[in-house]
Amino acid sequence: MNIMRVVRDLVTTQRVGGLQARQLRVLEDAKGNLEVAVDAVGARVGDFVITIAYSSARIATGDPRVTTDLTIGGIIDDWSENKWHEPARAGL
Amino acid sequence: MRIFQVENTLVATARITQLENHRLLVVRETSGSRSVAVDPVGCKEGDWVIAVGSSAAKDAAGHAKYPSDLTIVGIIDYWDAEGPGKGAR
Repeated sequence: MNIMRVVRDLVTTQRVGGLQARQLRVLEDAKGNLEVAVDAVGARVGDFVITIAYSSARIATGDPRVTTDLTIGGIIDDWSENKWHEPARAGL
Repeated sequence: MRIFQVENTLVATARITQLENHRLLVVRETSGSRSVAVDPVGCKEGDWVIAVGSSAAKDAAGHAKYPSDLTIVGIIDYWDAEGPGKGAR
């Protein structure tokens, strides 16, 4: 799983049936790389979230038939821009 | 399996039900890159651990329907971070 931030909503009317009517969000990681994920929790722009990848992403949607490789599995209660970029603490 | 060091517990109250109430930890590789892992073992902050990915992550977290892509499977008794194979930091 990874920590990512919701950047914006994504609308794709024309899509494969496998994606069903699942909501999509554009996310970025700490380095600024963009990815698109199915949102199973209802995250808002700016939220820091946990993303689940690979085949577990399909289970995480609640229906393993959904054709996704990345799903938002939870909204992190306490995370910040600073925490994201801070280096490993000494001795840890 | 990959080697990680446990950084801290991650609290996510709003989560999908399939994640159940398993503990999630922020873990760090020797390269410095962070991930989030399911912890069925009971790790402390600072522990060096081994974690599995792909389908083994699901089984290791409890059952084949558990949506994990990274699960801790063991705490390393002794790990010298400055020893051979320390990786790029």
